[in-house]
Amino acid sequence: MADTVATVTLTINGREVTVPKGTTVLEAAKSVGIEIPTFCWHPKLKPVGACRICYVEIEKMPKLQVSCATEAMPGMVVNTESEKVKEGRKAVLEFILINHPLDCPTCDKGGECDLQDNTFAHGIDDSRFDFNKYRFIRERKSTFDDYRIGPEIVRNQNRCILCFKCVRANKEIFGEYDLGVFQGGNISEIDTAPGEKVDSIYSGNLVEICPVGALTNTDWRYKIRVWKTQQVKSVCSYCADGCNLTLWKERDKVYRVTSRRNDVIDEGWICDVGRYGYQLASVEGRLTTPLIKKGDKQVAATWEEAIGLIARKFREIKDKKGGVCIGGLISPQQDCEALLAFSKFFRTQLHSNNIDFRTEYKMLPEKESPYYSRLTSASFRIADIENSDTILVVGTNLIKEHPIVHLRVRKAVNQKGAKLYTLNPFTTKSGDLSRDEIVHVPGTLEAFLNGLCIGLAEKADGEGNVRAAELKARLEPNTTAKAAEICGISEARLNDLAEALRSAKKISIIVGELVSGSPAREAIAAAIHNLTVVLNLNERGQAAILSRAANSKGAERLGVMPSLSKELQQKLKSMWGGFPETEGRATDRMIHAAKKEELDALLIIGANPVASFPDGQFVREGLDKLDFTVVADLYETETTEKADVVLPLSSWVEQSGHFINLEGTMQRFEAAIKPVGNSRPGRQIIEDIAREFKGGLFADAHEIAREMQELLNVEPRPSFPDAVAEVKFAEEKIEKDYPYPLFVVDEMHHFGHLTERSRSLAAFAAEAQVEISPSLAEKLQIENGSLVRLESETGKLVLPAKISEMLDNDVILISRNFSGTAANMLQMRKKRIDRVRLIRVDEK
Amino acid sequence: MILNKISIAEIKERMVKYPRRKSVILPALTVAYRQVGHLSDQIYREISDIIEVPYIEVAEAASFYTMFPKEPVGKYLIQVCHNISCALLGADSLVGYLEEKLGIKKGETTPDNLFTLISVECLGSCASAPMMQINDKYYENLTREKVDRILEELRRQG
Ligand code: SF4
Ligand code: SF4
Ligand code: FES
Ligand code: FES
Repeated sequence: MADTVATVTLTINGREVTVPKGTTVLEAAKSVGIEIPTFCWHPKLKPVGACRICYVEIEKMPKLQVSCATEAMPGMVVNTESEKVKEGRKAVLEFILINHPLDCPTCDKGGECDLQDNTFAHGIDDSRFDFNKYRFIRERKSTFDDYRIGPEIVRNQNRCILCFKCVRANKEIFGEYDLGVFQGGNISEIDTAPGEKVDSIYSGNLVEICPVGALTNTDWRYKIRVWKTQQVKSVCSYCADGCNLTLWKERDKVYRVTSRRNDVIDEGWICDVGRYGYQLASVEGRLTTPLIKKGDKQVAATWEEAIGLIARKFREIKDKKGGVCIGGLISPQQDCEALLAFSKFFRTQLHSNNIDFRTEYKMLPEKESPYYSRLTSASFRIADIENSDTILVVGTNLIKEHPIVHLRVRKAVNQKGAKLYTLNPFTTKSGDLSRDEIVHVPGTLEAFLNGLCIGLAEKADGEGNVRAAELKARLEPNTTAKAAEICGISEARLNDLAEALRSAKKISIIVGELVSGSPAREAIAAAIHNLTVVLNLNERGQAAILSRAANSKGAERLGVMPSLSKELQQKLKSMWGGFPETEGRATDRMIHAAKKEELDALLIIGANPVASFPDGQFVREGLDKLDFTVVADLYETETTEKADVVLPLSSWVEQSGHFINLEGTMQRFEAAIKPVGNSRPGRQIIEDIAREFKGGLFADAHEIAREMQELLNVEPRPSFPDAVAEVKFAEEKIEKDYPYPLFVVDEMHHFGHLTERSRSLAAFAAEAQVEISPSLAEKLQIENGSLVRLESETGKLVLPAKISEMLDNDVILISRNFSGTAANMLQMRKKRIDRVRLIRVDEK
Repeated sequence: MILNKISIAEIKERMVKYPRRKSVILPALTVAYRQVGHLSDQIYREISDIIEVPYIEVAEAASFYTMFPKEPVGKYLIQVCHNISCALLGADSLVGYLEEKLGIKKGETTPDNLFTLISVECLGSCASAPMMQINDKYYENLTREKVDRILEELRRQG
């Protein structure tokens, strides 16, 4: 017999309803389409019964009951619409409105306010309260007592109905403790902790969850009335989580972004980057017309001129030296359509395999990486994280890199009791949640993983599927003691983690960009692969290296890389009637070739390698040697500066398309507005060039959709036996003069090189900072905000310091998101770990 | 650090007695109040560090309880109940009388730092209204004469 869920049957408004045991009366009613008004109830929060608007009458109960906090019981007879219920709700509303300012005409929530709607529905038009209303006045200059509680959020306490959803979601779901309820009774107020502000990566959700106009954000305030807008279904174009969004637009402007709840991905939450990142579509300074370099100036040109020139130049190079002397870099934030067109143009018209989407990470050494490919293409479900009792997070500041995956991990830990372990070269925010936050010496991850495999095999004592002796022969270090020593972690902690994994029933191993961005990615992936073999993970969980950007997965699945799996090559060959035989070059090799004048032209779409690809000096020298550079982007960047032709690119809100999220789910997004100025979507630009160069890439829209689908049907996982991989750890030599490991990461409220243009996101952080731990700051006598000079073997930068409570070892983090601070100047492409020295700059 | 060794030890002692750390917030606030005479953001931070409860939760709890002064007060904190039973029996004029006798307004402290006068919600002694609390002690069934005597006595003690 299948699992039976205990159910209860009750009667609601004369209808018999059967629901699983534990369901509330409110949800039971909802399940048959009976709506009950609510203020404080939220599907993802524990009920608190604070507002009382959800009153229902239940037979045999003398008083009205709050349906959101009353469990459905067998035989209950519920009435949700009786006179008594209506009177009760009316009374609740009358109470709520006692001190309410009734300032709907100037309130941004007007038209989508639960209080307005419920009051309207209950026909309340009078109040028996004859006294002056209590008024909260925080900023006396403001007419409406608005008070800013964070970079984006404005609080108007007079409108607050004390449903506590904001504070509850903040604590329960986001784990943030920056907003609370203060005082009591009718002077209760929602406020920040004294001296703090609401500025977490999830802060925008608090505005979205507020049922009234008490919390609003400057993004949307006083810009437009909600009933004038249309809603467009979209998907976030930033990280790979793939949150579903609604774009609210009127004519040719998007006014805001809200979540569009998708329970298998985001559960109705989005991060601030997704919420405010859309703003960069309509900021001053967008590139609106093509530019062609004449002398040392870039001058405006028509699309015909620009495309004509590109086609001519490409033909010239192809005829003279071959298509392989042309390379292409495209951003993984471009949609599947653009990515496929890009690959098809290079492979079928230029006969070049020189394409890549990885323009931020070190690529050396460049060789086959079967283990890495296997782990990046492993099947992984965000929702499955909740079903794991043990979670291992490796090589990522998860809350930053994948904010929504982080929320699932939080949920697993807090609501389902999962055990979390983190394994990183520095302390991260997820550490607060973990049983053990393991911080290893930077650059020694695979040594630790080797130790972990040995520890597990030894515990299994011959009964596991891998024998310790077999492992020892293939691994180095090959004892737990040696591994622990190399990584600077006690053997006991290593063994504790091994024990936790051994006894786990269901495991999720989540690996992030500190692995995918490392030149040692293949060795680390092999070590993780070994761990999955030792743990027999196929049968008890999931492990994956998560893709980073909105469509990195799309780029992998559609083949926007120089070397592809046999299966994918075969498919492309048959689909396109041919496939270039020559070996392709990855980003690093292309630039290297440019430097040696073996590559003559680059077509770059939406990427800014000059400021982001390690290392800066190398990229600059490479690009300077090119004969012909074409760069398409939204704004001028360090890379467009070097271009012979600059093309204005449309943002994702100006086009429709598909992204594939880190789970491999393809999702469609719709265009909200027309392309800004004369800009064109990436796909169109590529097709225009191809048409002029040789001919159209696709017969019609169906063809592109069919080709995409066929490629997605190709099994992405390279198959090979689950044997133990050889992993020999080799220590990297450290130059004494450069003692501190440097990590170039995204700033919490930014992603990629364009979000600094978003006004709201800039309000959280507008310039790069050097993040260091309090102890390092003390050692070097550096204060918060004071200038420091960073020096590596290749470059230097002067930046303000930010002392971060999150960090507690001697590492340095800098963000990659700000123009004017090319952090890649400090990076060395051949080094696994970048190292710098840090000097206080004494201001005069 | 504002909290001294004794207070910290006392707070730690309380931590053992409660199954949940959050439950220690009020006892800890009380210990701090006893030592300092009032509470402050800095004190919330210190308590938060000791009992490992988020800072905001300590601040929230403290803000809820009017019995904890958040600014320095005089040696004697006079809290007159202004809630319903006491109000019916003349709490308002009692406050007025105290203001007159002390020469200060509600919410203020006398220049000699001896008395601070505030009014608060029900102190649970409605049967003996009107009433007030001075530091830890209840003074009930108040009349003007009684108030005179109490103030005189406290002044004498200094
Ligand atoms: S601010 Fe909004 S969400 Fe928060 S308690 Fe008030 S009404 Fe509820
Ligand atoms: S950046 Fe990532 S987490 Fe944030 S809204 Fe977009 S997809 Fe979701
Ligand atoms: S919705 Fe039920 S009490 Fe608020
Ligand atoms: S009303 Fe004054 S003590 Fe209760």
